[in-house]
Amino acid sequence: MLQWINSRFPITDLVERHLSKYPAPTNLNFWYLFGFLLIIVLVMQILTGLWLMMNYTNTAEEAFSSVEYIMRDVEYGWLLRYLHAAGASAFFVLIYLHMFRGMMYGSYQKPRELIWLGGWVTYVLLCAEGFTGYVLPWGQMSFWAAQVIISLLGSIPLVGEDLATWVRGDYLISGITLSRLFAFHVVLLPIMLIAVVFFHILALHEIGSNNPDGIDIKKHVDDDGVPLDSKPFYPYDITHDVYALGVFLIFFCAIVFFFPGGGGYILETVNFEPANPLSTPEHIVPSWYYTPYYAMLRAVDFSLFGLTAKFLGFVTMAAGIAIFAALPWLDRSPVKSIRYKGIYSKIFLGGFVISFFVLGYLGLVPPTEIKNILAKVFTIIYFSYFLLMPIYTRLEKCKPVPERVPA
Amino acid sequence: MKLFSFLFLILTINVFGADEFSCGTIECDEFQVNISNNADLQNGLSTYMNYCYGCHSLQYSRYKRVAEDLDIPIDLYVENLIYDGSKPGELMKISLSKDDAINWLGAYPPDLTLEARVRKPEWIYTYLKSYYSDSSRPYGVNNLVYKNVSMPHVLEDLQASLPEENYNKVISDLTNFLVYVSDPSARERQQMGVYVLLFLFLFTSFAFLLYREYKKELK
Repeated sequence: MLQWINSRFPITDLVERHLSKYPAPTNLNFWYLFGFLLIIVLVMQILTGLWLMMNYTNTAEEAFSSVEYIMRDVEYGWLLRYLHAAGASAFFVLIYLHMFRGMMYGSYQKPRELIWLGGWVTYVLLCAEGFTGYVLPWGQMSFWAAQVIISLLGSIPLVGEDLATWVRGDYLISGITLSRLFAFHVVLLPIMLIAVVFFHILALHEIGSNNPDGIDIKKHVDDDGVPLDSKPFYPYDITHDVYALGVFLIFFCAIVFFFPGGGGYILETVNFEPANPLSTPEHIVPSWYYTPYYAMLRAVDFSLFGLTAKFLGFVTMAAGIAIFAALPWLDRSPVKSIRYKGIYSKIFLGGFVISFFVLGYLGLVPPTEIKNILAKVFTIIYFSYFLLMPIYTRLEKCKPVPERVPA
Repeated sequence: MKLFSFLFLILTINVFGADEFSCGTIECDEFQVNISNNADLQNGLSTYMNYCYGCHSLQYSRYKRVAEDLDIPIDLYVENLIYDGSKPGELMKISLSKDDAINWLGAYPPDLTLEARVRKPEWIYTYLKSYYSDSSRPYGVNNLVYKNVSMPHVLEDLQASLPEENYNKVISDLTNFLVYVSDPSARERQQMGVYVLLFLFLFTSFAFLLYREYKKELK
């Protein structure tokens, strides 16, 4: 039977190449677990989303009450909704850790540029998915966050207002906007997301995983062409991943079952009020996973060359996300991993991490004068990690990378 | 490290500096949420139906669900707590129309199904005990938690006739009921959560042992 299939479609070969016999470096550590967990969360979001969609109504009149209908009248609807909402936050926690791993160990460097770009597109799509999904419950924060974000398009010179109207499908955020964002959230974006993730993994398996030392393990192979410093995914990595999945699920389920609102960070309290176009909430905050970029948006409060502050802020925010894509070409270091890079790389990476957290915090709280100054300073630190990289990676002294993975 | 503590200092000072009172013009009273006692919740429900439900709907909740969750026999419930002949499976909507409400009261009383999620339970509890007389307001009362509130002090008779302790019990039960109705699956969720976590601990222990076995093989 298997032979019959194999002579028509190489199923055994595919499974062996991409799963069971995939050679993973022997020195992979904790940081290499998040890709696996991200796939699990992606599957969970698709499944819970599918079932939520069966009971959700995508009209301005019914959306809010249909969510409460799911929470109260649908069998285990509350579980589906809490899983999906906490899943969105988990998705971002994991993808930020996954991206940081890549930055720390230089996984974006040659020859893995396309893997990195695939991951970056995944992140951008995920941001869009998070935003569109956030609008669907049609609470106060859904409405006003959509209002703020889409009106950013209006700040683009000349075409802005028309573009914003075109995206909204209306002069204001309305049921029309809601139903198109719904279509994006459940059809267009997930299809793109799955396709890009598929590409990301395929590209990875073609080149092979990087490792914490940034050593090219393909230089030393045995007679069958299998790298000496590798182990097959099955059973060595899968057992590690399943163990990690257990630990992840303990944290995740503890939140879902005992702390589903996440103190207002997973489900914001203001969003339990139905959308009301006539009353603006006291202060509008995006979900926590966008707040570093929201802080950048607010940090730019000056106009320049006849461009409005709003537009410049929007550009800064977009650049903050876009600049990840340039990393493979900004890094001129002869070594990949932070373990062998020089002191400048370590300082700038540390600065980047601190600025990410500080900006994330600043984006959550109402602005004050001193906080605005801090936001400016940390926005500069954030960008300097990227923009100065071609300089500091060439100036610093790196340690020699060993030929083989150290025992 | 110095940089960290410096940052921490700046950030925290600002947080506390910017904070207002937690309950309008005063600090919230302490309130311990407890939705495990059905007698308390029944008590809260009956206060709600008698004093609040005339104006404030619970439009996302169904009569029957509340009866089942709080262990109230359905006949008794239909007889005493459904006033408008609604069927037990219906949503708890009120007959007060929006136009009438605005004419009579100046505002439409909001639905309170999710009130305990929009505001903190301690806010509701403190609000219900913070009415004071103020002759400049249309109903002769004002509230320390919700300045210039348009709602009259509906529980005034209770607060006047009961000893303070008993009145506090009435509003505490009422608050707990609102917490329950804002997320009626909470009790089931927490019970299920215990089993889910027990399973996961077991699963993860075995997964760890398996991982350790294979890890030994690599060395």
